[in-house]
Amino acid sequence: MLKLRQGQAAIALVCVVLGFMLAVQFRTAQDIRSSIPFQRIEDLSQRLSQTEKERDVLLKQVYELRQTTGAESATKESENIKMGAGVVAVRGTGLSITIDDSKRLSKPGENPNLYLIHDEDMLKVINELWAAGAEAISINGQRLIATSEVRCAGPTLSVNNTRYSPPYEILVIGEPQTLENSLKMRGGVIETLQFWGIQVSLKKQDIVDVPAYKGAFRFEYAKPIKDGGK
Amino acid sequence: MALPLVGLIIGISLGVFFPLTIPVEYAKFMSVALLASLDSVFGGLRAGAEEKFDNTVFITGFFTNALMAAGLVYIGEGLGIDLYYVALLAFGLRIFQNLAIIRRYFLRK
Repeated sequence: MLKLRQGQAAIALVCVVLGFMLAVQFRTAQDIRSSIPFQRIEDLSQRLSQTEKERDVLLKQVYELRQTTGAESATKESENIKMGAGVVAVRGTGLSITIDDSKRLSKPGENPNLYLIHDEDMLKVINELWAAGAEAISINGQRLIATSEVRCAGPTLSVNNTRYSPPYEILVIGEPQTLENSLKMRGGVIETLQFWGIQVSLKKQDIVDVPAYKGAFRFEYAKPIKDGGK
Repeated sequence: MALPLVGLIIGISLGVFFPLTIPVEYAKFMSVALLASLDSVFGGLRAGAEEKFDNTVFITGFFTNALMAAGLVYIGEGLGIDLYYVALLAFGLRIFQNLAIIRRYFLRK
């Protein structure tokens, strides 16, 4: 056996540090590899609880509808429709998200476009938020409604036909933890954006005020079908 | 030889029970620093076997190597050159060299 006559203690000390780093690095690598099935499990369990919640809500609704008269349910339904259409301002728990362009300079030979925010990035974030149960979203004060576009317009972003330059502030109403997790998961949207140095900051808030849609609705081509359309 | 092994085991178990993961962006830095410290340990073992061990040289070597390696990666990222591989190659070569020398000592006794 190799005899160490000197420096046992020092080498042992360094070995402690080395072992620690080894274990942490090992776990990080494993974490990266195994994060996809984990995501799947989380996804499924989340979906299950969401479906159960939906079922409970529907059961309650059935019960309520049986109890109330026609007029009451009509006013409630019209309120729901208004909230869904985005014509009333709403308040609730949620997140405020600020997204800004990358401060990093692009390396020579690289496309500087990679370090800017594009409509695709914003759409990914928004899509993830809707998927996580967001009930109302606004970008820089523009409420997102069914016909809202999110589109690059030169270096700016056009939302509801109004142009904005970075930074973009997204306000979301929903379950704050679920919303945050949906964005922050490994391999998720924020990690991808941060890889290019795009600055994303999240803040959970108890009170988020999402403004109403300020524009008008115009229907040139679409006409309602009179006999219910069912 | 027993003490370093005990140290290694303590370190690994500490790392396993410590709830710490590194963001993917920094995993590269960590891996290079890891290799640097591995190199230092082998260097230390070799020096110990040759009975030329110097405590200060060893400890300072450990930290400067690890920091320099991580710094090199950082600079490389700024310059657009993969200096990462330089550190990997240099440390890898040295580890094998030291291992060969340690093995000779091991066989001679």
